[in-house]
Amino acid sequence: MTDNTQTLNFKVQAQGLDFFYGDFRALKSINLDVREHQVTALIGPSGCGKSTLLRVFNRIYEIYPGQRATGSVLLDGSNVLAPGYSLNALRSKVGMVFQKPVPFPMSIFQNIAYGISHFEKLKPADLAVRVEQALKQAALWDEVKDKLKQSANSLSGGQQQRLCIARAIALQPEVLLFDEPTSALDPIATSKIEQLIAELRRDFTILIVTHNMQQAARCSDYTAFMYLGDLIEFGKTDKIFTKPNNKQTEDYITGRFG
Amino acid sequence: MAWGGREVFARFGFGFVTGQVWDPVMGEYGALAAIYGTLVTSAIALLLAVPIAFGIALFLTELAPSWMRAWVGTAIELLAGIPSIIYGMWGLFVLVPLLGEHVYPWIDGNLGTLPLIGPLFQGPPIGIGFLTAGMVLAIMVLPFITAIMRDVFLTVPQRLKESAYALGSTTFEVVWDIVLPYTRGAVVGGIFLGLGRALGETMAVTFVIGSTFQITAAMLEPGHSITAVIANEFAEADPGMHRSALIALGFVLFAVSFVVLLLAKLMLRKLNKDSGTL
Amino acid sequence: MNINHGLIQRRQIVNNLAIALSAVATVIGLFFLFWILYTTLSRGIEAMSWNLFTMNTPPAGATEGGIANALVGSLMMCGLALLVGAPCGIAAGIYLAEYAKLGKAGGIIRFVNDILLSAPSIVLGLFAFSLVTALGGSFSGWAGAFALMMIALPVIVRTTDEMMRLQPKQLREASLSLGIPLWKVNTQILLRAALPGVTTGVLLALARISGETAPLLFTALGNSFFSLNMSEAMESVPTSIAKLAMNPDEFWNKLAWAAAFLMTSFVLLISVLARIILRTNKAAND
Repeated sequence: MTDNTQTLNFKVQAQGLDFFYGDFRALKSINLDVREHQVTALIGPSGCGKSTLLRVFNRIYEIYPGQRATGSVLLDGSNVLAPGYSLNALRSKVGMVFQKPVPFPMSIFQNIAYGISHFEKLKPADLAVRVEQALKQAALWDEVKDKLKQSANSLSGGQQQRLCIARAIALQPEVLLFDEPTSALDPIATSKIEQLIAELRRDFTILIVTHNMQQAARCSDYTAFMYLGDLIEFGKTDKIFTKPNNKQTEDYITGRFG
Repeated sequence: MAWGGREVFARFGFGFVTGQVWDPVMGEYGALAAIYGTLVTSAIALLLAVPIAFGIALFLTELAPSWMRAWVGTAIELLAGIPSIIYGMWGLFVLVPLLGEHVYPWIDGNLGTLPLIGPLFQGPPIGIGFLTAGMVLAIMVLPFITAIMRDVFLTVPQRLKESAYALGSTTFEVVWDIVLPYTRGAVVGGIFLGLGRALGETMAVTFVIGSTFQITAAMLEPGHSITAVIANEFAEADPGMHRSALIALGFVLFAVSFVVLLLAKLMLRKLNKDSGTL
Repeated sequence: MNINHGLIQRRQIVNNLAIALSAVATVIGLFFLFWILYTTLSRGIEAMSWNLFTMNTPPAGATEGGIANALVGSLMMCGLALLVGAPCGIAAGIYLAEYAKLGKAGGIIRFVNDILLSAPSIVLGLFAFSLVTALGGSFSGWAGAFALMMIALPVIVRTTDEMMRLQPKQLREASLSLGIPLWKVNTQILLRAALPGVTTGVLLALARISGETAPLLFTALGNSFFSLNMSEAMESVPTSIAKLAMNPDEFWNKLAWAAAFLMTSFVLLISVLARIILRTNKAAND
């Protein structure tokens, strides 16, 4: 298998990234290069910092006092942690999907339109087009096109999660962050979402945190193994899962701990 | 209690509720003025208290640093524990002179002359009346509504709020667009609970409402409320028609507050069911 | 996506405005609290004297007086109300928590209790009066105590119910599996474990009834003289405050403030005490 992904650009890069919950150092000097249009998985045992790392990339931690990050995170070369970097610009470029499907208490249509209306003032016709686009990209359009006005709560768990994906996609971001997106879903819904992620790679750069190793092996192109705040090993998924360099990585993969 | 009021109901029938004249000496008992006063003062109280309660709840749940949350929350609860008669005394001895000398003359002179809404703001600037009673009630009801709003806002799942932030929402938008709709049932339930309390409040209102039987749109005028009437006249009422009338009045109050409380409970229960499925 | 920066700016302004207003609202809330407390404190303290405890409520025009009869009256009526109400309330609370958890009977009892809890106190006072007169009594200390008991009861029932239900399942199951009969498990083990919370409930009920005026107006009425006779009209602190404050007698008003200060301090102290008990116990158990 020829590896032409090595020539792709780095979309997101973490450099010397430290993260603190109060005085506790949760991330230790992380250096990570994420290639564009690839799926990069973050794996590791509970408490290793993978979710923490993910949440640095859209600065969602900032709403909690006492949490802070030092070092730099480059998006297309610009440091998003720099004080001058606009949070709004970041939010429009980096989208996030959470572990539990969290539809807003609104109709399906409004759920998607909500994010868009923060950034653009669109005529109703244009807005409808954007909503349809997003729902199609998230493979949900056919199932909801006749009930856009219904409450989002009427959808099944898997559908709600795809709604949340559509919601994030609607802002036309460049990077998508997934924080254990299928841990609350049944196997069928899970496989639908994994398929979706594989397709979304065409249009977005994707980072996914998962505590399910098989999922990482199935879905991702690159994998990063983390342990207690350190990035232990990073490389192509095939290599990590068949011939890892680091003993710790091997122990985790083979289930010796974790 | 309906039993105690049966004499009056027998004599006047439904006219008891709609009659305007209340004159024990003459044997006339029309409760409308008292009911009007109760409703108006409660309405003013809610109008003033709900936005402030919302502001405080917003502050406590989203904005305040953690060290502040605890003691501001406790301070608000202390406000709820102060006996109502203290509110009445403070209202009568502190607020009334203040309003009568400094605020009301201005209102009567400037806002009272506006077209259309002018008559709302007229009345003798002596400091007592519907508006004052409404204000004191508002302060009394504030802690209840605030506490409920705050507790209910805290039940919103963190991830839901984070989703909104991740889409670029501002703090206010998260509360207004997400938290409020999510907690809508309980918030309204809480407001109704506050209404129930305002309707039944006795001493705070009695002190400052002016004990005058009249129905008028002018908020600066003195008026009466169900609770004030009962409080004022019960001790000296002769058993018989007068006392019966007062008890009947109490029954009306009980009926109204019962309905309000029932609605409040239903709404609060609805939220528990909704958030269970969410 | 074409970002509309004007839109973002406008939204940011709205957000900042909202934040400012909510801070203002909080300040307003705290402001009134402090204003009221300060007023009570300052006016109350300047009128304080030992006479408060030694002399009775004065007639009009007098220059000296106290609230001795009111204090005694309040003590007796509140005491009686709790003496009868607390055991009843606790028993009812235990019953609700243990035997009527999910059944319809439990739901109905809780509902009625909630109604009583939130009913205006004046209504409860009138009801007490109607009941007492129907039974042949009239204005008296007994009637007053009865009215106060009706106000205290739902509070105690509710708190006991909730505190008992908070007890971990394991405690109950462990006790039962040792063969201890259910009623003993409840009264000797669970109640003891829930005691701080239940005590808090009783204290809060005390705080509530010591400040209640309206129900006493129609039951115990008032009495300018010192009396230990519960079958007669009885004076209490709240009703004396009402009388002293509503008449434009300067000395009376001063006295009213002193009494108000005393009463408020008492109520707030008890509330704080109740909260402290709850908090220290929670910390010990967590």
